Amino acid sequence: MKKKLSKLLRWETMLVVLLIVLWVVFEARDNGLDAALIAKGRKAKDVFNFSKMLNGMGVYMLYSFMALGMALILGMGDIDISVGASATLSASVMGISYRALINGGTANGTAFAIAVAACLLTGCACGLMNGILVTRFRELFPMIITLGTQLFFRGFCYLFLGGETLKFDGDATWGQLKTLYNGAVTIGGYKVPTIIFWFLGFALIFFVFLHLTTGGRKLFAIGENRTAALYSGIRVDRFELLMFVICGMMAAISALFYVGSASATVRADAMTGYEMYAIAVVVLGGFSTAGGKGNIIGVILSVIIFGVMKKGLGTLYGFADSTVNLAVGLVLIVASLLPNVMEDISNRIRVKRQHVTIKATE
Amino acid sequence: MDNKKKFSLGSFLMEHREIPLIAVLVLLIIGVNLKIPGYIGSNYMNILKNCTLNLVMAAGMLCVLLIGSIDISVAAVLELSAAIAGVLMRDGYISSTFMMLVIGVGIGGTFRLINGVLRRYGRVLPIIVTLGMTYMARALIPMDFILGMNKIARINLTEHFKDFILEKYMGVPLIVFITAGVVLVIGLFLKYTKTGRSIYAVGSNSEAAEMRGVHVKGIKVLAHVICGATAGMSGIMRLAEYNAIEKGAATGGEMYVIAACVLGGVSVMGGYGKMTGVVIGALLIATIDSAIPQLFMGATMMKEFFKGILILAAILLNVILQRTAEKRNLKGRNI
Repeated sequence: MKKKLSKLLRWETMLVVLLIVLWVVFEARDNGLDAALIAKGRKAKDVFNFSKMLNGMGVYMLYSFMALGMALILGMGDIDISVGASATLSASVMGISYRALINGGTANGTAFAIAVAACLLTGCACGLMNGILVTRFRELFPMIITLGTQLFFRGFCYLFLGGETLKFDGDATWGQLKTLYNGAVTIGGYKVPTIIFWFLGFALIFFVFLHLTTGGRKLFAIGENRTAALYSGIRVDRFELLMFVICGMMAAISALFYVGSASATVRADAMTGYEMYAIAVVVLGGFSTAGGKGNIIGVILSVIIFGVMKKGLGTLYGFADSTVNLAVGLVLIVASLLPNVMEDISNRIRVKRQHVTIKATE
Repeated sequence: MDNKKKFSLGSFLMEHREIPLIAVLVLLIIGVNLKIPGYIGSNYMNILKNCTLNLVMAAGMLCVLLIGSIDISVAAVLELSAAIAGVLMRDGYISSTFMMLVIGVGIGGTFRLINGVLRRYGRVLPIIVTLGMTYMARALIPMDFILGMNKIARINLTEHFKDFILEKYMGVPLIVFITAGVVLVIGLFLKYTKTGRSIYAVGSNSEAAEMRGVHVKGIKVLAHVICGATAGMSGIMRLAEYNAIEKGAATGGEMYVIAACVLGGVSVMGGYGKMTGVVIGALLIATIDSAIPQLFMGATMMKEFFKGILILAAILLNVILQRTAEKRNLKGRNI
């Protein structure tokens, strides 16, 4: 019985509880607003319900792909704050190459396929650069290195695009990205955006990799103790490099969806601050920034929590999106503070118990 | 074996990491002057003025880097302190310029105190704390009770505050004197006071420092508070210089602050770094900022590109230099 209880007391359970509490609070507020409207003789708006939440989820999903890649990096105890910049670089390479190919007389379909491939490859190249620098320059924190590469990638964006905005409004082929983002499937009366399926699909792959294969065990072993992992026969450098490449690729995939969402435009200063969202989501999801700990289910839950929180605070309480960031910051700090405080308390209790037993034996 | 200290280039460069930097700066200045004769001569005051805000923050950042921590919330703290102080002035609570500076320092310091306490006593990693704090600071700025109309403009400020910082004494704007004062105070504090030396000690080996009787946790919190105070101060300076502040005005500023430190040879692992290096680093960034658009006419965006490459190269070069120096030292011992 006791064992079962402790198994239930996990981070993911806490996230589910948090989600339910948020939902109940928002639902109550929504009902209150509706009642006030009806009392005034107007129609109830019902701003917050399940189907509307599902519909609006797409916006909050954009950084979720980055978050999956970031989970790998944080699991190893590294950090990558250049993902936002590498996503923008991938998007701008895609836009530039598409335009160049179209001007060169290539058919729309082929040009688009090549552009998407270029986008993914650019993401991988960004990740590769990060990975090489992180594994070759162990004296530097990954944070400092990726801070540098972030400036570097953004610099390239400015070099390619300058101040211009790439627009492909009337282009039907380019519009495929829009349908990728905007498209929805109707299931049981609910309209579910396709981006959710994409996310869940990727999340499933990452879940299998992290928790059911030796690769995942290796990753957490590196996060727990890099030297021990090296001496137990893991090719640490090569593995870490691969993870950084995957993280870069996930950033490029995020970029594909972003281009779809932002009315098919690319700017050099797009997606600034996305890396912070990605890190926040992963940390709230239970990944320790020191490495060696975490669960993809937690990341999925925290993506949903962020969406619900932002949507709820925005539509029900009328907070601006930037003000909602206050809650994001608070959650981030509390989420990383709470495990430490809990550990301290449990240690103290254990010590006290030992004192009691010692006294009893005396 | 002779005890005479042999001169080796590597160890010399190791001890004086700012020397290659000075060489780069001089080369850059010569290059720009060759292309556009007399450019630096007519613009050096602008360059000095442009590096002030960055330099004040970098002086505080030096303290944080010295203890082996990092702070990426400085730009947000800058905005926050400028916004709060600006509102206080708008609503008539403060009218004296000096009080504005004090308030700015106080706001920044308090903000970072929370930060440092969370970091030290809650054992939260610095990146996470500063990240969360960045969010919170930025989110606080446009809130109704702080910045009712999202922007502080020229009409909200007193006559004296509007103009005092760019007033010229002996041909030099006051802002440069203020910056020099901050840099001098923090530099001397780090070099000649017991507490200042403790910051170095904690950074290079915190356990040894603890054994020596240094209050490690206190010193770490102090370093964070200094960093916040300088960020708050530069917020007020910015408000006085531009006479306006809005949310997101200084976005990305933290990168250039860290870059100035790293360019100046400050080790991000803590324990090594000099104020002179930071000053030269900040000057170098300001020179690039001013000179690159002139070198490549009509391409202001090239600035971002060159800054990115230069900063990354400087970070890596620093490590490579350190490695070769260590190798040389080891070789010397074997013989």
